[in-house]
Amino acid sequence: METERSSAELVDDAVVGQFARAALLAALLGAVAPVAIPLPLSPAPITLQVLFVFLAGLLLGPVWGSVSILLYLVAGAIGLPVFSGMTGGLGVLVGETGGYLWSYPIAAALIGALVHRGTDLRDPADVSTPFLVAVLVAATILIYGMGTAYMAWLLELEAWEAVTVGALPFVPGELLKMAAAIAIVKRGVVAPLRS
Amino acid sequence: MLTYEPDDTLAHRLDPRSKLGIQIGFAATALAHTSPRALATLTVLTAVILAVARVRPLRTLYAYRFALVLLAIAPIVAAITFGPPWIDLEDGLASAQAGYRVLLILLVSAAYVRSTPVRESRAAIQRTIPGKPGQVLGIGVALVVRFLPVLQADLRTIREAIAARLGTERGALERTTTIGLLGLTRAFDRADRLSLALRARCFAWNPTLPSLSFASRDVPALGLAVVLALSALL
Repeated sequence: METERSSAELVDDAVVGQFARAALLAALLGAVAPVAIPLPLSPAPITLQVLFVFLAGLLLGPVWGSVSILLYLVAGAIGLPVFSGMTGGLGVLVGETGGYLWSYPIAAALIGALVHRGTDLRDPADVSTPFLVAVLVAATILIYGMGTAYMAWLLELEAWEAVTVGALPFVPGELLKMAAAIAIVKRGVVAPLRS
Repeated sequence: MLTYEPDDTLAHRLDPRSKLGIQIGFAATALAHTSPRALATLTVLTAVILAVARVRPLRTLYAYRFALVLLAIAPIVAAITFGPPWIDLEDGLASAQAGYRVLLILLVSAAYVRSTPVRESRAAIQRTIPGKPGQVLGIGVALVVRFLPVLQADLRTIREAIAARLGTERGALERTTTIGLLGLTRAFDRADRLSLALRARCFAWNPTLPSLSFASRDVPALGLAVVLALSALL
């Protein structure tokens, strides 16, 4: 059995707090994979993963928000059933929905950087609603842009074909998730940890 | 559901890093080639890998059924054209071939999932990625594994409580907001208690790593990984 003989290098208190929240949010992202809420007049039910990608950026900031999503992707890659349909494995990350999954950490970083204007966190409840809407719309465009572009390349589809299969059915659900994310942070019950 | 199963196959005895290498090499070469000849070769290789890890193909396909629906729809959408002749078989066939390689990649990754326990994957991450990023990923993944069932139980409780109060009759926005807010509050409460516990136990950047070592049987596996990765350039 190997042992580490150098003296212990303790992790900063502020880092431990953010790290624990990032890890738990990653687990939550995996836990909501089987939750689907049916939406009237839409073929695609709402899955909550993108909601928690929004909340990762809003509540953990650009750095820990994207770390959280990366932890989720790595946990899925080694086989935990955390991706939609309760699947896991490295193959899903390069499969037809891989573009969406890889866009999540970038979207969380984008939301965090725009809302917090840097790595010092502020309470997103104090940010004006139109600005939050604009940020979440930008993040959604990024997610669906990367997701459909990768799907079009991988499955040799034309752009409009990929958009028909991979984006249009989900538009009503995305609008609802943006509203839910804003309602949650405006409620002010959960606030980011500030160092 | 696809998960680790204890067994004594060659795949179970290989070092997780060799298996990760094979998966990455396989994915790289599968993404680079869609010709029927390449697909036939990759199919044979997939069959060998599945046999070595004793993966049951039908059960695995069932586990990936949601992904397969999209792979089945894509060629149909690709084949439909506006205006005569309405159906373009060549486009559909190209998309079907492209989708087939995705299926092969999924099956190969199923072999890894069946043959590798989480603690080995975690050790592989911490030994491959140096310094603090490797520690954050390794410990973080271990925490996700630990808390996934806990948070699943939390969500189940929340949804049962909502259903008992006829919350399922409410609008989609209210339901989404309630589940999101309650799930997040519980998760962050747990995270704050966890961070206190970690600090009380002197959570450090340099803990003792789980043991892991390459053996002689890993040499051919690593060789296969390199050959696969290089064949992507052909």
